[in-house]
Amino acid sequence: MIALYNSKTWKLSSYLIALVLIVPVLVMLVGGVSASTQLFAHLWQTVLPSYIENTLLLAFWVVLLALFFGVFSAAIITQTNIVFKQQLRWLLLLPLAMPAYLVAYLYTDLFDYAGPVQRTLRATFGWQSPTDYWFFDIRTLPGAALMLALVLFPYIYMLTRGAFEQQDQNLIRASRLLGLTAKQSFFKVALPLARPAIAVSASLVLMETLADFATVQYFSVNTLTTAIYDTWLGYGDLGAANALASILMLLILFVVLAEQRSRAGLRHQSARPNLTRELIQLSFGQQLIASIFCWALVILGFLLPITLLIIMAVQYSDVAQLSVLFSTGLNSLKVSVFAATIAVVIALSLGLYQRLHKDKYRKIPQLISGFGYAVPGTVLAMAMLSTLGPLDHWINGLAEFLGFSAPGLILSGSLFAIVFALVVRFSAIANGTIASGIKQIPQSLDYAPATLGVNLIGSLTKVHLPILSPAILVAWLLVFVEAMKELPAVLLLRPFNFETLSSQIYQLISDEMLEQGALGAILIVLFGLLPIVLLNKSKEKV
Amino acid sequence: MTALLATQPSIEPITLLTIQQLSIIPQEKVIISTLDLSLDEGDILGLVGASGCGKTTLLNAIAGFSEPSKGQIVIDGNLISDSEHSVPAEQRQVGMIFQDYALFPHLTVKENIAFGLGKLGKAEQLEQIDHLLTLLKLNDYRDSYIHQLSGGQQQRVAIARALAPKPKLLLLDEPFSNIDARLRNELMVEIRQLLKQFKMTAIFVTHNKDEVFTFADKMAVMAQGRLLQLDAPSIVCQQPNSYQVADFLQLGSWLPCQVNSASAQSLLGDFDIDNHRDKQTGLVYLLVKPSKLQLNVLVDEQHNIANAQVEHISVTEQGYHYYLSSLDDPAKDKSLAFSKLSLYSDVALSFKQQVVVSIKAHDFLFFNKVTNP
Amino acid sequence: MLRKSFTTLFIALFCMAAFNTSASDEVNVYSYRQPFLVEPLFNQFTELTGIKVNVVFAKKGMTERLAREGKYSPADILLTTDISRLIELRDKDLVQAVNSSVLSNSIPKQYQAQDNTWFALTTRVRNIYSAKRLGKIDINYEDLANEKYKGRICTRSGKHPYNVALVASMISEHGETYTLGWLKKVKNNLARKPQGSDRGQVQAIHQKLCDISLGNSYYFGKMLKDKKQKIWADEVYINFPNQKNRGAHINISGVAMAKYAPNAKNAQALMEFLVSKPAQALYAQTNMEYPVRESVAVSKLVASWGNYKADSLPLEDIAKNRKAALKLLDQAQFDL
Repeated sequence: MIALYNSKTWKLSSYLIALVLIVPVLVMLVGGVSASTQLFAHLWQTVLPSYIENTLLLAFWVVLLALFFGVFSAAIITQTNIVFKQQLRWLLLLPLAMPAYLVAYLYTDLFDYAGPVQRTLRATFGWQSPTDYWFFDIRTLPGAALMLALVLFPYIYMLTRGAFEQQDQNLIRASRLLGLTAKQSFFKVALPLARPAIAVSASLVLMETLADFATVQYFSVNTLTTAIYDTWLGYGDLGAANALASILMLLILFVVLAEQRSRAGLRHQSARPNLTRELIQLSFGQQLIASIFCWALVILGFLLPITLLIIMAVQYSDVAQLSVLFSTGLNSLKVSVFAATIAVVIALSLGLYQRLHKDKYRKIPQLISGFGYAVPGTVLAMAMLSTLGPLDHWINGLAEFLGFSAPGLILSGSLFAIVFALVVRFSAIANGTIASGIKQIPQSLDYAPATLGVNLIGSLTKVHLPILSPAILVAWLLVFVEAMKELPAVLLLRPFNFETLSSQIYQLISDEMLEQGALGAILIVLFGLLPIVLLNKSKEKV
Repeated sequence: MTALLATQPSIEPITLLTIQQLSIIPQEKVIISTLDLSLDEGDILGLVGASGCGKTTLLNAIAGFSEPSKGQIVIDGNLISDSEHSVPAEQRQVGMIFQDYALFPHLTVKENIAFGLGKLGKAEQLEQIDHLLTLLKLNDYRDSYIHQLSGGQQQRVAIARALAPKPKLLLLDEPFSNIDARLRNELMVEIRQLLKQFKMTAIFVTHNKDEVFTFADKMAVMAQGRLLQLDAPSIVCQQPNSYQVADFLQLGSWLPCQVNSASAQSLLGDFDIDNHRDKQTGLVYLLVKPSKLQLNVLVDEQHNIANAQVEHISVTEQGYHYYLSSLDDPAKDKSLAFSKLSLYSDVALSFKQQVVVSIKAHDFLFFNKVTNP
Repeated sequence: MLRKSFTTLFIALFCMAAFNTSASDEVNVYSYRQPFLVEPLFNQFTELTGIKVNVVFAKKGMTERLAREGKYSPADILLTTDISRLIELRDKDLVQAVNSSVLSNSIPKQYQAQDNTWFALTTRVRNIYSAKRLGKIDINYEDLANEKYKGRICTRSGKHPYNVALVASMISEHGETYTLGWLKKVKNNLARKPQGSDRGQVQAIHQKLCDISLGNSYYFGKMLKDKKQKIWADEVYINFPNQKNRGAHINISGVAMAKYAPNAKNAQALMEFLVSKPAQALYAQTNMEYPVRESVAVSKLVASWGNYKADSLPLEDIAKNRKAALKLLDQAQFDL
């Protein structure tokens, strides 16, 4: 590997970007270290152990369930002969478009005592009160785990399916020739080979779970996020809250590093992924079970919730809502477009820096710019205020010193804060997508322009950016959708007269009035479908 | 620059490339060590060596993709790299054809060729492109994308693209390794003619000596970052200057000999070495070309004692090919034992059959195994 | 094609995202109150005065945000739904005194700060809702700890400001030891883990998950006006607790002026508007709250619930005990 360019400006700006993105995290860590221990002791003696236990239990169950859903559905789609495979293949991705808090609300509505399911049961069997029969309570930790797993499993499904499809078919053939059945070959060869993909996706699910705020709040499952909230807003102790947040972040970082460790040296690439695959032939009964399994995931994770939303929208919508929807929708678009664009530009700059610059430590900027993903939105909002607040004061002080009028809170009190928070949080997503796009460009293409007398700028604009355009589009859309869904950061950093779709829906949900926001919720889901459709298309084209 | 590019016909060859004392030592690991090389205008140099010998790094250094630690590179009288400064790759007027061709997948054939012509006007560009498309028989594919072409066609596009900006020097990195073996020779001949037509100075890297014999005017053999020999291919072939060169190029088999001032002793008999130039004594290795071996099949126990046996038999278009090894004889000096002595013959022998082999008198080439000359 | 349309979309969105220009005659509000509760009031104010009202709504984090913004904060007015928040704002020196005879004269003395740093706008009772199937009951907050309600009580999170204030008032009345014991017993009586909103608890009574719940008064009126929630509200009675002794626990929604209010004049105008008769009447009619101004009548619906005796405990005492209440809630592991 020989890097090509040695631009000082590029180097400086890359490190500067990385620094800017990591500063909020550092501010939080520093704040946490200097926290008072008194409140901490009180929390530790009373509720903190249960919060931690809940956090770990929730993480455990979500990952377990999501693995069960994701790995099995991926295996069924790629390895067996069930019918409607082509349809299920992309249908299984749809739950990704559903924010977990929406699903949680909709299912509570559906399965509650007063919901249609229990009403029907009571009417059918003549039961009178809750004591007459047992019905699962959805507002519990397992319930929350199920809800999160239902919308997060597609991460695992997507990456595992990709791994299965990329596998060298000759390995499976070799195993068949060595006397294993198709099923045995799957468990002994294909599944172990897919381990890196499964590990990556499981760690993604884990991160999303630990960062979740709205679902656990709605289900009153008290986790570390609750504790952070309580300490900050209840006890008004930002230091202790920072300390707790730091613990949470270190926990997530540990997971990420462990995952990277575990798959070091597990690289598996195939030269022959496209050979026709010998499918596992399931009996009719087995096919039926496998089909039901996949369809159940699609229905529970997407079709049923979206149907419920549509019914709500039809029943409750009026013109007044449409105008509110338009303004909040526009706000959502605004922040998401800004965040996605900036995140992609940063990802491109750092990704290409890593690829093309001579700097010995060229990997560092991209690496540290991804840390923000491990910080839950609530925590990030807190860090953002701690970072931008003092900065604003400094700017105002300077302006006054120079004889200008104070510009006000131009950073912490404007869209800037939200967009910055979203960029810090979702840069890792853009980084990942762009980096894998860059990885697919053969190294020789970096050199070719120079041998034709074309300089760095020409090379970037005529070769790298055009070739990367599919990856850029995907990265942009992924960040865009995540930004649309993101809640806590928006909730805590909004400027005046600023509601987004997600913050509005959250407020309506907390007043048990989602009906009023059903249209907005549908809009979020529809936006969420965009990248899925696109990803699916680009995969099929290859 | 452009004035310099115009080549004048001259009798005396003009030196186009000079490399002096070049060393590349990234992170304490020597890749290239004090290498000197010079190349005349219009010459095609074939650079061979085992993988990891530094030949690709040398190309990268000339192109401007790796920074030399020491030494200097001069192209056409312009110093492009020394320990002080280095001309950026895009200003060196060095073209390159990559192993994987590095064609831009998002551009058509025409656009690929036009890529390096940005400084020309539109009309000139078109003229140049048309000229190259015709030369390389690519007219039917001008608007095709790269993935729609065969390997050989892609190779042609790569060459057209590299030639379009009229580089002073063309570098080719294993250009034929991805081409079907049957088409390879034909393509090499064609491209060589093309380069000659353009009077292009070129260096190409390969690990296949046969490609050099077909394609190059000069041959350079590299090992462990050093240039072992640089000569016309026929000279390198006839007079390799070291054991390493001869061994890498597989110019013959090795027969251990005990040499003194006038004669050599081997398990295939003793012979006079009056033409012995190198004054080596002690245990040395004789390079034995198959044609210099004499096979005697009829083993007469009394007069002709067998001195070799058949270890491996294969069939070639020139008859049988045998590997012979020395007989296990405790009475003989162990250090002189040989194996894998290559021999071609029309006579059918059987596995383990014992034979008598002798060496025809010729200009013997002895080498020391370890040290370089 | 795709790339082109994508680029166009992209540029269009960027243009739309250009920053808003702000009117010079305006007042900025940080509000803990729900948008739909206060927006009608603000609209009326703008109509009357031409002053534009800018609002950020947030249930959480407002005090913290204000503190971080410091003297450059754009906030003029802070609207809260809980006395503790107001006192906290004052204790953190984030508000300023407003000396306005309009304000001081319109609001009863117990519902405004002696130093004029905060003013109540409405009062609300922390009611106990009971299932109609139990018949009419007379209940005290203390009774929630009674064995006979085991498995029959529902409530939102103990940490919610409304509940924290109630616990704080219990501390004022009975002391910490008694209150901790009471909390533990109430927790034992809960039908389910604390969750949801005050309305959700009424829904739970409707679902027969429990018989008793805690909730603010105005929610009852609001639910009766919602076509879906009326079914729930029809299942319960609204009870005013502790009528035979100290009276029902009262909380307020209130207003304060930010310490560094850039539009102090407009802010005062808005504050004075909020205690004016028409504004107070709007509070009463649309929000079903008890207007703080005595001369303004409550809505017909609220009047139908009858008169009640309010706890005379000074509001500042409730705020004082807030942190202690939070700690007791943790100790009792009320939400777990």
